[in-house]
Amino acid sequence: MLSRLGWLLLALAGAAAWGVLALHRGETISAAWLVLAAVGTYLVAFRFYSRFLADRVFGLNDRRATPAERLNNGRDYVPTSRWVLFGHHFAAIAGAGPLVGPVLAAQFGYLPGTIWIVFGVVLGGAVQDFIILFGSMRRDGKSLGQMAKEETGPVTGLLAMVAVLAIMVILLAVLALVVVNALRDSPWGVFTILCTIPIAILMGYWMKVWRPGRTLEASAGGVVLLMLALVGGRYVAESPVLAPLFTHSGLTIAYGMIAYGFIASVLPVWMLLCPRDYLSTFMKIGTILLLALGILVLLPPLQMPAITRFVDGTGPIFAGKLFPFAFITIACGAISGFHALVSSGTTPKMLTRESDARYIGYGGMLMESFVAVMAMCAAAVLDPGIYFAINAPLATLGGSVEAAAVTIRGWGFTVSPEQITALAGAVGEQSLLSRTGGAPSLAVGMAYIFSGAFGQGLMALWYHFAIMFEALFILTTIDTGTRVGRFMLQELAGHIWKPLGRTSWYPSIIAASALVVTGWGYFLVQGVLDPLGGINSLWPLFGISNQLLAAVALCVGTTLLIKSGKARYAWITLLPLAWVLLVTLTAGWQKVFAADPRLGFLAHAALTAQQVAEGVLDPARGARLIFNDRLDAVVAIAFMLVTVLVVLSWAREWVLVLTRRKPARVQESPFVETAYVG
Amino acid sequence: MWASSGRALRPAISGLLSAVRRIAGMPDYAAHLEHLRRCHPDRTLPSEREFYEEYVRARYADGPTRCC
Repeated sequence: MLSRLGWLLLALAGAAAWGVLALHRGETISAAWLVLAAVGTYLVAFRFYSRFLADRVFGLNDRRATPAERLNNGRDYVPTSRWVLFGHHFAAIAGAGPLVGPVLAAQFGYLPGTIWIVFGVVLGGAVQDFIILFGSMRRDGKSLGQMAKEETGPVTGLLAMVAVLAIMVILLAVLALVVVNALRDSPWGVFTILCTIPIAILMGYWMKVWRPGRTLEASAGGVVLLMLALVGGRYVAESPVLAPLFTHSGLTIAYGMIAYGFIASVLPVWMLLCPRDYLSTFMKIGTILLLALGILVLLPPLQMPAITRFVDGTGPIFAGKLFPFAFITIACGAISGFHALVSSGTTPKMLTRESDARYIGYGGMLMESFVAVMAMCAAAVLDPGIYFAINAPLATLGGSVEAAAVTIRGWGFTVSPEQITALAGAVGEQSLLSRTGGAPSLAVGMAYIFSGAFGQGLMALWYHFAIMFEALFILTTIDTGTRVGRFMLQELAGHIWKPLGRTSWYPSIIAASALVVTGWGYFLVQGVLDPLGGINSLWPLFGISNQLLAAVALCVGTTLLIKSGKARYAWITLLPLAWVLLVTLTAGWQKVFAADPRLGFLAHAALTAQQVAEGVLDPARGARLIFNDRLDAVVAIAFMLVTVLVVLSWAREWVLVLTRRKPARVQESPFVETAYVG
Repeated sequence: MWASSGRALRPAISGLLSAVRRIAGMPDYAAHLEHLRRCHPDRTLPSEREFYEEYVRARYADGPTRCC
């Protein structure tokens, strides 16, 4: 009775916080309301909805031995405590995605994005992660691709694999672009990030050669060196001799990252990739805890309006109306198809009890959503004028701070040129104008929160700390992503000619790595050269592709439900599936065919052709822009086509099973009684 | 007094360190040895270096381990 009353009060508190958010329009309110509304909703959803899923829909059974118990090998199949596994899973799923998306979507104001982050996760993202983790747990920890193949057939499995590869290429390009925008003309940032490479190699030798297996001491040493590199960056930036050596244009940094991605994919993992992974994991967990602490201590006021005028589609950061683009821009944090790959990787092999899957799968995703809410807070604590100065493309703002201030005032926000210049000086940069991509504005927001919570005066250090932490794990994603892409390409090529499929054969390694790097590198360079800033066209493509992967995962989930005779509960995955399809197909269609040249790729190509014909644009440059627009259009169409094909092939399977023309049987591992007591 | 409290703390500290390792996806040599001794007493035990190399190779060999 008492606990019911508690839950009722919690639900009311959450509802009240939403009420405050909805009613206090046009005045500044505290971030506390945002946090309270989110956390209240999470707790109620976790207590009631996830329990419904666990008990009624999935039938989690603690009498049934998990793969970790049955196949325990003391290495990857290891029964692990629920809390430790929660940390492990969270470290695996949280990355740059939930931080960048909300910052970009803040151009609509903080409210639309927050509503999507919180309700999207509760009904969509957390359900997806939970059901894939559940399915994989019942199948000895099989991957999403293997499950897709087993439950439907090799063609669907192959389609899913091609889709993942294509998504990886776009994902790596857009994340690399975020780093380029943060590091261009920033000697401090470039120095710190360059230092992470020798630090990682040092750690690699430490753990393999000098003190084999001593991963924790090597990581501790690595973190200390990283902090020294961060502090040292300031001296580099202030030195007239050293600063020019580390000051580079976006294009140079882009080519540097492409070369780095290739080398990292070819080198043995112990040397670079694995130590980087450890380093970025510790930095990630530490910084996210610090950010949560900063926001909870400070509870800063939100300067951004709840809803801006840009919901009409005229926003400077990316084009398109609130629907569908708010739901595309925020992918990770609300629902992320990529998680389905991670949910079916290491985590299911470590669950001690079946019921733990609820805490890890559903609960872990709620935690990631909370990270997205914090990113939204960090963007919304900025003065909106500053926010748009950092994020809008240079072509829109005008070349100078004076022109930028005039443009931004034209949008109805007050900002002076002196403010923009003073802020850049305070964080130790020449300019903050048009550093689109989320990382720099998040870093300014975090620097503001940290210096407010932990003492003033270290603004520049906190800014570069935040930049370093984001660039560090984006580069780690580039390492691992290029390597995973390489493996997938090798496996696909192996179907054509056997030796190409051997992942340790050097000619195959080099060819596949070069292909993957060329793939994302092309889109990266195109993004750097794009007059609208690249994020404008690439981020929506990434959002669409990630949501489409979510559609694939939700299809697998629905199949599991229907085949196990739970068709009456299939709405739990069909509902988010319908929404994700609606949003992505609408967005994809608009990106390709919209008549507004800011939004539609083909309309932009037509406009460029017209400019060339009128003689206002250099023909060679125009031809390149037109080619890229058409390429983006083809990519978007291909994504949509693959998705429609995948969904249709699965829908056919569902109909066959439901009309009893195909047996309703799932490929679960047989039941074994657990030996654990209690 | 110090010695005795240090001894009492030791299991707690090694438990904490092994939790940190597992969260970061690092190999846990001690746990692996214990598993081998218990379940496969006939096998020869790998050195820490052998175990580390094999673990790292296998961990990054297939599928993404981290999300975007």
